[in-house]
Amino acid sequence: MKLSKSILQAVLIAVTTGAIVSCEKLRKDELSKPKIHKSKTDSTLVSCPACGMG
Amino acid sequence: MREIFTALSCNLDENILATALPLFENEKVEAIEWSFDTLYKHENIPGWFVELLQAFGNEKRLIGHGVYFSLFSGCWTAAQQTWLSHLEKISATFQFDHISEHFGFMTGSNFHQGAPLSIPFTPATLAIGRDRLKRIYNSCKCPVGIENLAFSYSLDEMKQHGEFLDKLVSPVNGFIILDLHNLYCQSHNFGICLEDIIHFYPLHRVREIHISGGSWEDSVTAPGQKIRRDTHDDRVPTALFGLLKTAIKKCPQLKYVVLEQLSNALVNEDMRNGYREDFMEMYSIIKNENEISDGIKLNDFFPKKFVISPEPIQDTVLQEQELVLSNILESAASYDDAISRLQSSALHGSAWKPEQWKPYMLETAIAIAQKWKHGFE
Repeated sequence: MKLSKSILQAVLIAVTTGAIVSCEKLRKDELSKPKIHKSKTDSTLVSCPACGMG
Repeated sequence: MREIFTALSCNLDENILATALPLFENEKVEAIEWSFDTLYKHENIPGWFVELLQAFGNEKRLIGHGVYFSLFSGCWTAAQQTWLSHLEKISATFQFDHISEHFGFMTGSNFHQGAPLSIPFTPATLAIGRDRLKRIYNSCKCPVGIENLAFSYSLDEMKQHGEFLDKLVSPVNGFIILDLHNLYCQSHNFGICLEDIIHFYPLHRVREIHISGGSWEDSVTAPGQKIRRDTHDDRVPTALFGLLKTAIKKCPQLKYVVLEQLSNALVNEDMRNGYREDFMEMYSIIKNENEISDGIKLNDFFPKKFVISPEPIQDTVLQEQELVLSNILESAASYDDAISRLQSSALHGSAWKPEQWKPYMLETAIAIAQKWKHGFE
C-alpha cells in the first residue's frame, strides 16, 4: 500500500531519533527542518511484546 | 473473489519500524496488525503513528490484536472492563477491519504481567469465552477472532483445541487466526506431521494467518529432546513457507497473512535483512498462490443477533484453579516441586487433568510463566 511521503518521513525521523514528530508539521514545513526532541526520555518508541509469549 | 493481504505486526517500536520502513517505502506492506493494548504505559500515541494507523485504517487494512484481555479468566475484573472501554474508544478513532485476542488465561496477578496458557475445554470455560467475545464485539463493532495457542499440556488437548475454538467463536460468527508457528511448535512437541496438524483446526473460519520464528529449549525431563517455543525471536523456519502454501489453498476465507517478530530480534542490520527476506518470501508466496476459484461465498464474520447476559459470567472455582496454577508455575523451584504441589492442589483430579500432562510441557509451562511474571521489560 502506498503511504504518503510525510508519513514515511516521520517514521524515518522517529526511528533514527526516537522523537515525536507531527506529520502535519512535516507537511507544512515541506520537510525542511522539523523540530526534533533528541532527549531519550522523550522517546515514545517502546518495546512491545505483541505475542511471542510462548 | 477473495484477496489476501501481506501484513506485518506493527507496533510503536523502534526496531520493528526501522526494519519495516524499507518495506513501507517499496509499497510491499498491504496491511498492518497493531497490538492496541500494549501502550498502557503511555498516555498519548505520537501523531505520526496515529497517521500511520489511520492511513491503513482508512483503506480497511488495519487489524487489531489484543494481548492482555485474558479471555478465560474465571472472574470478571476491573482491568478487563477498562480494556473494553479502551477498545471502544480507539475503535472510534481507528477503523479496524477486525479485532483478535489470544486463547487461554493470563498467568500472573497483574494484568500486564503474565503469559497466556491453556484451560480445560469444558462447558464452563466455553460459556466464559463466549461471553467475553460478545463483550469484545459490543465494544469494537467489527468481526472478532481468536488465535490458536502454541502451547498444550498433552496431545489429546492439542487435538481438541481446534474443535473448541470453533465452538467458542460460533455465537459471534467469529474467525480464527491460524498461527503457523504455533502449529510448528505443537507438531514438534507432540510428534505430529506438520501437514497433518492443520486438519485439527476449523479451516473454514481462518481469516488470518501468522508466521514467525521461535527457539529450541532443552528439557530436563526428556533428555535429548528439544522443546519448540513460540518466542518470535528468530527467522521463520523454512518448513512454514511450505505450510503457508498449503494453508492458503485450504483456508477459503483467508484475508491477511501477518509476519511477527519481536523487537529484540531486530537489533542489527543482519537481523533486519533476515526479517525483510522472510517478508518478501511470504509476499511472493501470497502473490503466486492468491488464486482461488470464484463462487466461494465470503463470510463477513459479522455476528447475527446474539444474547448476552447483563453481567459477565463468572466461575469462582475456575478462578481459584487458575490462581493456584499460576502460583505454582511462577514459583516452582523445579519440575519435581511443581508436580508435588499440583498433586496436593485443587487441580488434582479436576478437569485440568494434570495427571495427563506431558512432563516436558509442564516444564515448559514453568519456563513460560517465570519468563513473563514480571511483564515485558
